This record gives sequence, structure tokens and C-alpha cells, in this order.
Amino acid sequence: MRRRGPPECERRARVRYRVDVSVAQTALVFAGIPLAVVAVLALLIFGPSQLRQPNRYRPGKPWTYPPVWYIPRPLPKSGTAPHRAVGAASRPAIESGDQAPTPNPVGGASGEW
Amino acid sequence: MSGDGEPSRELLAYGPTAGRNDANPFTTRQLARIDEALTLSSRETGLTFSVYVGELAEPSRATAEGLFGKLATDVDGAVLVAVSPGQRKLQIVTGETSAPRLPNRACALAALGMRAAFSSGDLAGGIVTGLRMLADAAGRP
Repeated sequence: MRRRGPPECERRARVRYRVDVSVAQTALVFAGIPLAVVAVLALLIFGPSQLRQPNRYRPGKPWTYPPVWYIPRPLPKSGTAPHRAVGAASRPAIESGDQAPTPNPVGGASGEW
Repeated sequence: MSGDGEPSRELLAYGPTAGRNDANPFTTRQLARIDEALTLSSRETGLTFSVYVGELAEPSRATAEGLFGKLATDVDGAVLVAVSPGQRKLQIVTGETSAPRLPNRACALAALGMRAAFSSGDLAGGIVTGLRMLADAAGRP
């Protein structure tokens, strides 16, 4: 019974895919498609928040922005001054007036997080 | 309040400059919230609140007081809220006019509220919370 069939190694070599598939195509199907699915899911999950909050602060992250100093807008009068950002590092944010009210700090609070 | 019609004062980043995200640590919406909180709390209380966000050189308290000195030479009733996200430090400084209306205990409470928001990563929200708490504590003139 054994002798009638072809030898074991010969039979195994004859097993083939109906279509010729190269190694690259196999890798593409079994690695490329899962990777693509993962990439699409990651984009759906993290993409919107990246678009909406490109510069969100997280504790422990280094702070690379230049210092900014904001003061309230004055009451609307005739012809308000143009709005602009304060670059506290580049120039003094507030020009000293003639009369100095009382520049001495008295109290306050401090904290760390 | 020093509304003496002196237009040389620097103003809150607002309008077109607010859109440049690379130079500005806040988004346009966050800036609008901070702007509103700053302006409303200052108008309500008659004090001049001011927010500094950036590095505070060590010792940070002395640096914040130096900034306050610059602010207070120009405006009366100044209150400085200085936040250094990189160092995770915040300083609230009051002066001779604002301290009677904002005792240290009220400032500490506001600092506590700000710390809670900052530690969860909400920088703009913490600033707005602190300003509102300070304004509530100061009341109307």
C-alpha cells in the first residue's frame, strides 16, 4: 500500500496554493492589514484631540513657550488701543508711570502641584 | 483702578495674534476664557488682576514680587497671579491696596483651587478658576 503512492517528501512538495503568492504578498496580508487597522483606529482615537488641543499642558511636560503676561482690557472708551500679546521676556510689559502708587508686595499665597 | 486713559498698557492677547498656536501657549478659546475672566473680575472688584505664565527664576517668590513691582508702579490695586508650568509653581502677590480686600487666606484658597486644576493638566481652567475665586473673595468695592 505504501509502495504504490509517491514517497512522503515528494507528496509534500506537490502541495501548492492555487495562485502563486510571493513572500512579500504574504507579509502584506498577514502583517500589513493588521497594522493598517491599528493605524486607522489610533487615528480615530487620538486624531481629534490632537487637532483640537495641539498644545495642551500636561504636568511634568517641559514648558517651551515664551513667557506671557496678561492684564485686563481697559473699559471701552473712544478708540481703544489695538490688542496684542505681551512678550514679558522681550520688553517690559508695563511702562512705569510718573506717579508710583505702592509697588511693595504685601501678601499673597504660593503653591506647587 | 488706574483708568487714567493711559493707552501704553499692554493688553491681553486677543484677536488675530491669538491664533498663532506656536507662539502662544493657549488656544483661541482658552485665551477668550482667560480674557473674559480677567476683564470681568477686574471690573467687578475694582482691582487690577494680572496673569503671568512663564518661567519664574529662583527664588520664584522674589521673582514674582519683582514682576508685581513692575505692575504696581503703573496700576493701583494690583493683584498678580504668576504661574510657572515648567516648575509647577504658582504665586499670588497682593499689594498695599489689594491686600486688605484679599487676605492671605483667600489667596491660599484660590491657589488651592488652581493647583487642583493644574495637576489635572487644565492650565487655562485653573487660571480662570483662580481669578473667579479671587474676585469672589474681594467682592465689590
